[in-house]
This record gives sequence, structure tokens and C-alpha cells, in this order.
Amino acid sequence: MNKVALITGTRKGIGRQIAEHLLATGWTVAGCSRKANDLSHDNYRHYKIDISDESAVTTMVRAIKKEHGTIDALINNAGIASMNHLLLTPGKTVKAILDTNVAGAFYCLRECAKIMSRKRRGRIINFSSIATSLNLEGEAIYAASKAAIESLTRTAALELASSGITVNAIAPTPIETDLIKTVPKDALQKLINRQAIPRIGTMQDVINCIDFFLQEESNFITGQTLRLGGVTEN
Amino acid sequence: MSISRDTIKALLLETLEEIGEDFQIEGLDAVDESTRLFGARSPLDSMGLVNVIAEIEDKLSELHGVEITLADEKAMSSTHSPFRSVGSCIDYIERLVAEESA
Repeated sequence: MNKVALITGTRKGIGRQIAEHLLATGWTVAGCSRKANDLSHDNYRHYKIDISDESAVTTMVRAIKKEHGTIDALINNAGIASMNHLLLTPGKTVKAILDTNVAGAFYCLRECAKIMSRKRRGRIINFSSIATSLNLEGEAIYAASKAAIESLTRTAALELASSGITVNAIAPTPIETDLIKTVPKDALQKLINRQAIPRIGTMQDVINCIDFFLQEESNFITGQTLRLGGVTEN
Repeated sequence: MSISRDTIKALLLETLEEIGEDFQIEGLDAVDESTRLFGARSPLDSMGLVNVIAEIEDKLSELHGVEITLADEKAMSSTHSPFRSVGSCIDYIERLVAEESA
């Protein structure tokens, strides 16, 4: 029987690519996004929800459990960003970023962990960003939201270890996606130059980390944030 | 949608028995309304209780179409926890289901 993954934010970007990758390697995938998705595959089911809506997340996760009996992995990818100087960042933007990137990710983690805990196995992969470690100017709230995700990853790893669930995070470098299309080219280059390996990231770099955390042999790895491009915590 | 107290009680006892079997926890196959679900005198540890809560939520949704969240800030408080005993847990579920249906 196929393993089942829930991937949030599958309409485009990294989430879409991860969904296609897992489908190609024999997984059954449930995905979600705020808008409809044109991804069509026998083993893919799309849920049109906003993950900042707690009850919508609960209903989706229960529906996935009802259809497939379990959820083996959660790829907590959905996220939003807003490039702006902090003096020009409205409260509405702050709330929207924290609601989706922190609260939304938490709702998905909590609901999936309930199902995984019963099965005493599961893999949860959160998404941080090197924006946090590099204190990226213009992304104050986005970076803060991802710092929260790294903290959540560490605490959830401790609380869920006895239930056989590992919780890790990936902190990608900039990748060619919509999320960075508004970042000015010189600012992007400046950021990339701060990486040990100064190049833009690829989807394959991220998918490699996903495969690593999902593989059976990674059952001793939890609470970690894997930073790409040679970026380190301090 | 209303669910009778007897139905909720049967659901809870069945869940406790299942969790007891699956997680090899003794003392969950012969419980009554006074059985403690939380604290030193409970057969369940904290993760066991979390699993019971999650399973009950799931069954209420699947069998009765009722979407409620049982866990709250008081869940792990020894004096106020609605999960103090099987009886208080049944009362709590009954109240939440009634609120949801209102």
C-alpha cells in the first residue's frame, strides 16, 4: 500500500514540485492551497483550504484519514512572504504572515500528529528559511515567522518523539519561485553572497532534503533544521 | 445532532479498551465512571490520554458527523481537567456536542 503524505501549498513552487516528486515515487499525496490546483494524478487529492482556518485544517486532515486510513508524512510547506522595510509593514501584513506561516503550520502539525501518534510513526517536515539565520533585511516578519517554526520544530520533536514521530525542518536558500520574484536582483545577489556556496538554490536541493528526512534510516534524526547553501545558525 | 450520554459512554469505554490493547496499558478493560483518566491514579500516562482524546474526536466525526475539539488549556490541569475521570469526561463531551449542535 502506498504511503500517504499531506503537502501544504501544492498549487505552485516548492510544494508543487515535492508533490510531483512523491507521486512519481509511489506516494499517495493529499495537497492543499487557497486556490484550485490543476495537478492531476490518480493518487492526488486536492483540498482548497486556507491553513490559517483551524477548523478547515481539522476537517481536511480527518477527511484524509477517512479516505486513506493514515498519514505517514506531513510536508508543512505553505507559507507567505512580504518584502518591505519594517517601518512600512502594516499590522495586517504581520497578522497574515503569522497566521499562515506559524498558526497554520501548527494546526497542520497538531492534527497530523494526532493520527501519527495513534500509529506510533510519522514524519513531519517543516519549512524554515535562511532568511532567519541571515537576519534578512526587508523580511523582518517573514524571518520571525520562520524563527518560530524552527523553535516549534525543536519542541515538537521532544513532545512527539515518544510517539514515534520525527519533526525536522528545511531552511532553503532563495530558489526560483514566486516567493522571491519581488526581491530586487541586487538584494538577492547580496544574500546569495553570504552563503558558503554562493549560488541560487534548485528544487532538487530541497527534494534531496525531503527524501533524506523521509527515508526509513532517518528515524534517529529529529528536531533539526537543515540549512542549505552552507548557511549556519550563527 | 444530539448524542445520548449512553452512546458517549459506550464510545469512550470502547476507545479506552482499544488504546489499552494497542499500547499495552493495563487497567483500561474494566473501567467505570469513577476511573481516573488523569494524574497519578490513572492507568494512562499523558501521551496515552492524548491518544484517547484524539481517537474520541475522530470517532465523533466519523460515526456521528460531529466536529469538536476536546483538548483545551484545562485538559492537563489536575483540579479542573474535564478528563479527571471517565464520568467527568462523558459530561464534558456531552456538553461540547450539545454546544456544537445548538
